[in-house]
Amino acid sequence: MRKYIFIFKSELMSNLQYVFNTFTGFIGYFIHIFIFLNVWQYIYSDKSQIINGYTMNQMIWYVIVTEILWSVANGRKLCRKISEDVRSGNIAYNINKPYNYIGYSLANHLGSVAIKALIYTVLGILVGLMFLGTIPSITIIEAVIIIITGILATVISTLLITFIGLFSFYVEDSNPFFWVYSKFILVLGTLFPIEYFPKVMQPFLNYSPIYAVSYGPAKLFTSFTWDLFIKLFIAQVIYIIIGYGLCSMLYKKGVKRLNVNGG
Amino acid sequence: MSIIEVKHLSKEFKVKIKEKGFKGSLKSIVKPKYKKVKAVKNINFKVEKGEMIAFIGPNGAGKSTTIKMLTGILYPDKGDIRVLDIDPTKNRKQLAYQIGTVFGQKEQLWTHLTPYDNFKFFGAIYDIPDSRVEKKIQELRELFELDEFIDTPVRNLSLGQRIRCEIVASLIHEPKVLFLDEPTIGLDPVVKENIRTLIKRMNKEYKTTIFLTSHDVGDIEKLCKRVIIVNKGQIVLDDSMENLKYHYLNKKIVEVKMKEKVNLEDEDGITILKDKGYNLKLEIDTTKKNVTDAIKLLNPDNIIDINISNIPLETIISDIYKEED
Repeated sequence: MRKYIFIFKSELMSNLQYVFNTFTGFIGYFIHIFIFLNVWQYIYSDKSQIINGYTMNQMIWYVIVTEILWSVANGRKLCRKISEDVRSGNIAYNINKPYNYIGYSLANHLGSVAIKALIYTVLGILVGLMFLGTIPSITIIEAVIIIITGILATVISTLLITFIGLFSFYVEDSNPFFWVYSKFILVLGTLFPIEYFPKVMQPFLNYSPIYAVSYGPAKLFTSFTWDLFIKLFIAQVIYIIIGYGLCSMLYKKGVKRLNVNGG
Repeated sequence: MSIIEVKHLSKEFKVKIKEKGFKGSLKSIVKPKYKKVKAVKNINFKVEKGEMIAFIGPNGAGKSTTIKMLTGILYPDKGDIRVLDIDPTKNRKQLAYQIGTVFGQKEQLWTHLTPYDNFKFFGAIYDIPDSRVEKKIQELRELFELDEFIDTPVRNLSLGQRIRCEIVASLIHEPKVLFLDEPTIGLDPVVKENIRTLIKRMNKEYKTTIFLTSHDVGDIEKLCKRVIIVNKGQIVLDDSMENLKYHYLNKKIVEVKMKEKVNLEDEDGITILKDKGYNLKLEIDTTKKNVTDAIKLLNPDNIIDINISNIPLETIISDIYKEED
């Protein structure tokens, strides 16, 4: 485990060079939230109105949290890097090190997004408070639990993106798969809670990664219940086990097919 | 017991072939065609403990493929490999703790971190206790003279400094075998010489077995006592550096500056390499003609200056490459 903490730490230290970029990136996040704030204020004619079980404030906080998760876990760079490493054969230089590649990729990506997660969370909450004036009432223990589910959500996203990146062992370019995945999460997982979708779609969404990576933590933030936490936690653990298993399987098979350029 | 033992090693790559033009591109999507390229063909060799061995060959000869199979990166199609009695294909992770690799064309250091932080990172990767890592860093920073830049981010180091750090990073876990793949590529002659001295010092100090590939004859000549030449996936020569030079040094290069022009033509044992009127460059095959007889042909009274030298190792090696083509 110590080696993975070191990988995390080293990537975190490297990313401290880019703190300014993270603040700049937050402008895009702010614009998103501002647009949705106006959309929801227009849809909710009355502040006390409840649509599909959500008040307007809950709805906006929901979007604030899912957008934080989506921005932090957005692994376009990770997917492109894995894809490029596989195609160019650079992945070979990770193979002969005494660590597990999936563990390396996970620790590395978490290290690269840790600062972003912290900055976006603090600023995102400030933006919410600025526009709405209130924050859902949660205890410190509940806040800690929500943060843990947020971290687990990022772990799952990283594993799923690594899995997509590893497709490159079999297809020329895995980036189109990432595009589909990313838009799937964005459209179905961040903008509206599952309750907003037609009844026929809801069971599918509840079993999809959206529940574990986006809906669950955001729903916990807007209306925390222990029952939801337990369900979410179980779903997240299952997704981590499945995600890790799939990545390991794909990697093990893929490595045997590896052709390294220049040898 | 040999440190490295390779028996009947072969590796084949499947390479996609595409007909030219747009039609060819479409065809390759519907019905992709592949051709098989034999990168390594049935090679055998052994390396003993503490040896510094040069594994060389022209581009595409199969050197890097062999190194990658020895380090567990690539899977061989046929044959048997034992590195420190470990099969790299089966126990890659176990082997990783025992070997070090430096690929001159590939950075393994974290560029935003200092060499010191990088060394600590590699210590953790190889599960070495912190106190031992500190001791090792101290030892290696002296041996490789890193004091001046050990706290400077890697991205700000010169290429020579970076390569020194790359080598140190690969030595933190005290590997028994070090694979160096073109470690001096892109370096200026002074830095190259410095790196070679450090590698020699390391080999002497730690008795590390060194497996080197390089296109730089200087690296090979100054570091290695044994050379394996591969071409087209096969070993074409496996001999000591001394023997290599001895067998191929039956040719001498004679460069002369003349008072008057001489009309000399190629004859058995003498090849005219350059004829610029007053300046001549000859290659003399001493098995057919001795140097004195060759000079006599030029008339010694007509000679202003003369230089007799051995054929450079670089020429010897490229001749061996060509012989096999």
